[in-house]
Amino acid sequence: MSTPTSATLPTLLALCVAITGTLITIALCVLYLRRVRMDRPAIGTFNGSDIVVLFGFIVALPLFYLILPLTPLLVALGLTFTSALVIGLRPMIGPTATWIVVGIVIAANIWMGRTMLGTVVGWQLFWIENDILVVCAAVTTANLYVQGGMRLRHVAWFGLILAVYDAIFTFVWPVTNTLAQRFIGWPFDPSVGFRIGIYNATIGLGDLLVYGLFVIAALKAYGPRAARGATIIAVLCGAVVPALLPVLTDVFIDARTDVIVPAQAAFGPAAFLYYRWLRRTYGAERTMAGFLGELDVDRPSTPALAASVP
Amino acid sequence: MLETGVRQLRMALSMVWGRPFHTDSLTRLVADAVATIDEFGELGLEAREVIETPFADDADRVDHADRSLRRTARRLAELSPFYAEWFAAHGFQARTADATTLLGLPVTTKDHLMSRPRDFVCRGSQPHLATRTTGTTGRALEVWLSRYELEVAAALGALSAVLHDELHGGDLMQVHVSSRATAAVQLSAMTCRLVGARCRVLGIIAVDDALDALAGSATTMSVNASYLAELVVAAQRRGLGPADFRLRRIDCVSEILSPAVRAAAEQVLGAPVSDNFGMTEVIPVTGTSCSAGHLHHDLTMGHVEVLGLRSGVAAMPGELGTLVVTPYFPYRECMPVLRYDTRDVVRQLPGPVDCEQAGIPATSAVLGKATQLIEVTPERVITPRELVEAVEDLPSRPWPARFHAEPEDGRLRIDLPAGAVAGLSNAGLTDHFAERGLDAQVRVLEDHRAPGLRRVRSDLRELSFAAAEPVGA
Ligand SMILES: [Zn+2]
Repeated sequence: MSTPTSATLPTLLALCVAITGTLITIALCVLYLRRVRMDRPAIGTFNGSDIVVLFGFIVALPLFYLILPLTPLLVALGLTFTSALVIGLRPMIGPTATWIVVGIVIAANIWMGRTMLGTVVGWQLFWIENDILVVCAAVTTANLYVQGGMRLRHVAWFGLILAVYDAIFTFVWPVTNTLAQRFIGWPFDPSVGFRIGIYNATIGLGDLLVYGLFVIAALKAYGPRAARGATIIAVLCGAVVPALLPVLTDVFIDARTDVIVPAQAAFGPAAFLYYRWLRRTYGAERTMAGFLGELDVDRPSTPALAASVP
Repeated sequence: MLETGVRQLRMALSMVWGRPFHTDSLTRLVADAVATIDEFGELGLEAREVIETPFADDADRVDHADRSLRRTARRLAELSPFYAEWFAAHGFQARTADATTLLGLPVTTKDHLMSRPRDFVCRGSQPHLATRTTGTTGRALEVWLSRYELEVAAALGALSAVLHDELHGGDLMQVHVSSRATAAVQLSAMTCRLVGARCRVLGIIAVDDALDALAGSATTMSVNASYLAELVVAAQRRGLGPADFRLRRIDCVSEILSPAVRAAAEQVLGAPVSDNFGMTEVIPVTGTSCSAGHLHHDLTMGHVEVLGLRSGVAAMPGELGTLVVTPYFPYRECMPVLRYDTRDVVRQLPGPVDCEQAGIPATSAVLGKATQLIEVTPERVITPRELVEAVEDLPSRPWPARFHAEPEDGRLRIDLPAGAVAGLSNAGLTDHFAERGLDAQVRVLEDHRAPGLRRVRSDLRELSFAAAEPVGA
């Protein structure tokens, strides 16, 4: 009989949380992209400099998180979630209903985070509520970018840079670990997680956002077939590999035995290579206008290759 | 996307506070708009509000005019030798200037500009391009524009063209204005470059060469009314029709465009014709025509007044007046004019309009030059537009109209070449003009005298070695 300290349970839990979180996020991202049109600015489309800005945020944000006292940090997180939810829901259910729903979800998150964490069941209920919040934020944000003109090329480069960043900040300067620890047990935890027994397993909002971006950018650029390939990469390299790594080595299990893995380090390079392959095989990416014009159509491969296919 | 927002903000701040535009930022904003269309097929909602100052009401409009005029006048008092002197001579206080006090300042005329051009150049500005007026009245006037002015005008023009889908990356613009109208030509080319469109500047060349270039190729055309008339005649002679052209819009600038020529151009060339007002001296202030035939004046970049021809004060509804235009700083900075009397005559509309541009103040279309009005009796002044429209409506379609008119014994006498009146008796001719409100007797002249009767811009033929084209034929 295995003891609670064995690696099996946390690994299985991490695997389940990561795969489920990733798949649900991706599915909802795709559904949202196909069904809902978000407002966009009069002039402007996502471009390379937005990646720089985005990355600047991602680099700066954890530092903020570490410096700021917890209360203003939670307020900032609450505002971020609120705006993400409002932006995402408004095109679907109108402004009034949006504010009601968002109000309830946010209030419930605070209340559950403050009162229900005494028991495992309480933890589980909190996680489920928080997970809904986080997945919605990821779906909304991914769609905001892709519907705003972000291309697979942008996502691929973004993923590659994040891979380096993630590895550095996990192994060399483990801010990521400290951060993940800091939020657990507080409202607006920016991760999808679940608890069984004494184990908490999480997958970060940032990771889910990147997977969602990758899949819907592939769908927009090259159609459903490319999106399926992207999903497989996201699940394997973004969820399965990071979750299984602790089985091979224990560097990913910290003092509290929560599993901390630089998920982007595995996903980024794979995503980038996949993008290069798609580009070589199918040519230039479709624009948003092209995507909306032929919603479920796969991009034919470039003529030379197509001719060689029987 | 974020950068685009910053650029939009910078532009808006320049427009609101009257600070000089950052031309690089403006130029990149055009590229952003083009990229947006590439990605989404169209701009987002409310795109037009980006460059059009949305005036909430009249008070808002007056406030914008007052602030812009004061800013412009203060700068002129400081930097323009002519206006420093002019203001002092007329006791005009630039510091407290507004649309009302402006009325006390005499207008600036073409003679002022002709006699002292150097005194109009503001200190510290860097003239870059000289452009000459190519009107048919009098000597050519030279106006200097700075690089800044050209870049701002081109970028704002390109932005407006993109926002209104008047120009996109797939377009080929063919330009038929005199090559000496360097500002117009340069701005066309710059605008096309910013949007990524192709630009073919041909000038006033042999019409058959122009048609050869146009057929199956150009998608937009910028052209003078008289040259457009010649193109239509030539196209019909060659049996060309809409299927032979790819045009999607025709921009007509300066000169009087008659409904007859406009309708024929739309029918033969297969594209809508827009009739615009623009003038070298008051670049970049323009007016655009609406479906009701009004001329709507751009109030963002300049102040437009209509001064009664006889009274010299604001024209009453229904009265004829001359357009007096003041381009604002920061749109013009090098050789700006204040209260420039264009001598282009319009009629003040009798009341509010309900066309598609109802929010923008309007006058009648330009009716002609003030010097060309014909006073038959003190109560009856005949405008060049009435005459052009009536002559171009003749069954023989003598386009562009060649005629001479003058009062004779309390009536109007119109001299027309024989070709123009072909197929009509004297009585028929009198009826034709009477139906158009003109009590006229017609004197028929020999055809060879036609070109000398009325000068039009298409007479400014640019020669080539290849084509020997009889001018004015
Ligand atoms: Zn109108």
